Amino acid sequence: MSVAEQSRIGRNYIAGLSEKFPAAMLEVEWQTADQITVTVKPDALPEVVSWLYYDQGGWLSVLFGNDERTLNGSFAVYYVLSMEKDVKCWVTVRTLVDPVTQEYPSVTPKVPAAVWGEREVRDMYGLRPVGLPDERRLVLPDDWPEDLYPLRKDTMGYNQRPAPTTDTETYQFVNDGGESRVVPLGPLHITSDEPGHFRLFVDGEDIVDADYRMFYVHRGMEKLAETRMGYDEVTFLADRVCGICGFTHSVAYASSVENALGIVVPPRAQAIRSIFLEVERLHSHLLNIGLASHFVGFDTGFMQFFRVREKAMTMAELLTGARKTYGMNVIGGVRRDILKDERAKTLKLCAELRAEVTPLVEMLMETPNLKQRTQGVGRLDPKVARDFSPVGPAIRGSGFARDIRVDHPYAAYADMPFGLHVLDGCDVLSRVLVRVKEFYDSLAIIEHALHNMPEGPLLIEGFAYTPHKFALGYAEAPRGEDIHWSMLGDNQKLFRWRCRAPTYANWPPLRYMLRGNTVSDAPLIVASIDPCYSCTDRVTLIDVKKQKATTVPYQEIERYGRERKDSPLK
Amino acid sequence: MFKLLKIIRGAGEATEKYPFAPFPVSPNFRGKPEHSPAQCIACAACVTACPPNALTMQTNTAEGKRTWQLNIGRCIFCGRCEEVCPTRAIKLSQEFELAVGSKADLLQRADFTLTSCYCCGSAFAPAKEVDYALALLAQGALSAEQAEAMRPHLETCPECKRKQALASIEPAQALMRG
Repeated sequence: MSVAEQSRIGRNYIAGLSEKFPAAMLEVEWQTADQITVTVKPDALPEVVSWLYYDQGGWLSVLFGNDERTLNGSFAVYYVLSMEKDVKCWVTVRTLVDPVTQEYPSVTPKVPAAVWGEREVRDMYGLRPVGLPDERRLVLPDDWPEDLYPLRKDTMGYNQRPAPTTDTETYQFVNDGGESRVVPLGPLHITSDEPGHFRLFVDGEDIVDADYRMFYVHRGMEKLAETRMGYDEVTFLADRVCGICGFTHSVAYASSVENALGIVVPPRAQAIRSIFLEVERLHSHLLNIGLASHFVGFDTGFMQFFRVREKAMTMAELLTGARKTYGMNVIGGVRRDILKDERAKTLKLCAELRAEVTPLVEMLMETPNLKQRTQGVGRLDPKVARDFSPVGPAIRGSGFARDIRVDHPYAAYADMPFGLHVLDGCDVLSRVLVRVKEFYDSLAIIEHALHNMPEGPLLIEGFAYTPHKFALGYAEAPRGEDIHWSMLGDNQKLFRWRCRAPTYANWPPLRYMLRGNTVSDAPLIVASIDPCYSCTDRVTLIDVKKQKATTVPYQEIERYGRERKDSPLK
Repeated sequence: MFKLLKIIRGAGEATEKYPFAPFPVSPNFRGKPEHSPAQCIACAACVTACPPNALTMQTNTAEGKRTWQLNIGRCIFCGRCEEVCPTRAIKLSQEFELAVGSKADLLQRADFTLTSCYCCGSAFAPAKEVDYALALLAQGALSAEQAEAMRPHLETCPECKRKQALASIEPAQALMRG
């Protein structure tokens, strides 16, 4: 699909780039009216990305590699920037990487937000970002062979495993805080679906630095989608990316393919997608507000929020046939309509939720513990936020007005009544309050959409699968934006699927949020970015000087987090 | 504080009696797929549609048998099978209690007989699928007798059909004669 000249958005950025980097620009192409891919020479990559990022108000949403040797003889790396200043659009900076040297200049020294992405490209494709300050592995385990890159097209099949190369952990945790004691948190939590391992470097009670390691249960979904599944089946896999915001992922995936193929989804399907997305936000925000109550020691509130949350789950079951809004999306629309009876029941549930949550929220705000424990805690400095491109309530609590629903409206959000809630406290409290406000907006959106449901079909059929088309798809999950990038293959499958969950963007700045706080604040801070888990089973304390280790049960560190008496560190 | 106590009082009992009392689900709940082998024609539409490969089929031409299998452990309850089934042989039920003591109990199988080719005698398609095609023809433009007269044609395997078609063309006949 070629986009007509007059409907192209973002021409100003291209003009600016051509003026500033005339020698570097190789190719410019619009995938949709507001998605541009610019191919630049490798040497100019860091300057181009940093100019778009800092000078033009861009945010780095995702970056990834692609093995295009079968298409054009080279590897490629893509830096996706969400332009949010005056003209809102997506600019993807692409550069080809020589298949022999397999090197390209790192963007991280100029734009720190690129650090995780570049480390992942190195793991998955073996492309070396020259000048990357942190060259540790990100995704691959320690016992993975040196020269095997999982996402290359000529590597082994998705269902095979290489023999482990080592029995010991070789990962180095980084501490910039000077001499300190180490508090490891992790690697698993009983209720979490994404285990991670934290090392808190502490001086007495104060955290001087923190480092962490994720991807213990990397599921290889991108490889699976590219090799085993048809492109139309991947919506059901995308559902399974997250246990809470699964529908958001499938909307993001479905819309990426729809954008690539130029499919226009019928308005009724768009409205239904928005309703399901907000149902997901309802129960996710109630869960997080409940957890916030739990972590500040207001356990009755936690129980009450979870009791009320059940109504949001009932709503999901009523509308989609499952407590999770799974399996509703297909390329081109949705599979299930909302009928009169379901509509009436949903509206009733909305009213009940609003009536029941309001007094609970008032009570939570009146709890002295909440302010005392969350105000000024876990500060996400606006400067750090600007550098690392975090997403969701984490960045909205630090004074930046970023919400994909507003910046790049998708589904039916262009016509929905909701605000963009921004607070500038930069702390845990601000993030909780942003969620509270968004909760009420979600109810308003569901009610509005149900009252003004457009008529027409649910699904477009009969579109053509065009090989090697690609585009972005995006959706705002309760904890930030989901970004998907899909490139179709020539075999009814995907050539490349890149799926970035919101927490991926929120982990790198977490280190700065932990610094300067006390150990008892750590679970609260981690919970405030609303990752898929928030704390840890038990904690081992290592006294570096005395070479002594003691293990404290999880309940103990949680109790200490609430009561702040009788420190287990002593 | 009193307000909180009032809310708690007003909430009453939030827990359910389950499993000592049945737990109702919403009318459109997507639970365990129920398969009716009597209705099934083993056409494999559901197998093609199933995203997680919970549904599989194995065709054994030597034994003249096709086995349909559902692995509930892999099922994601999306209901694609129900959507594509031409004979409504599979339907998602309200059942959600699917835990089993042994892994083998997660599997459900149904065997179907293959029909033999009219010409070469090798097994090639499920007998019920051929019958279904004939029944469709009889429902449409053809009378029952006309449809039945088509049976030899429908019961010929693709390989033999190809040979027959080739044999009916003059230049090919010349080639085959050598």
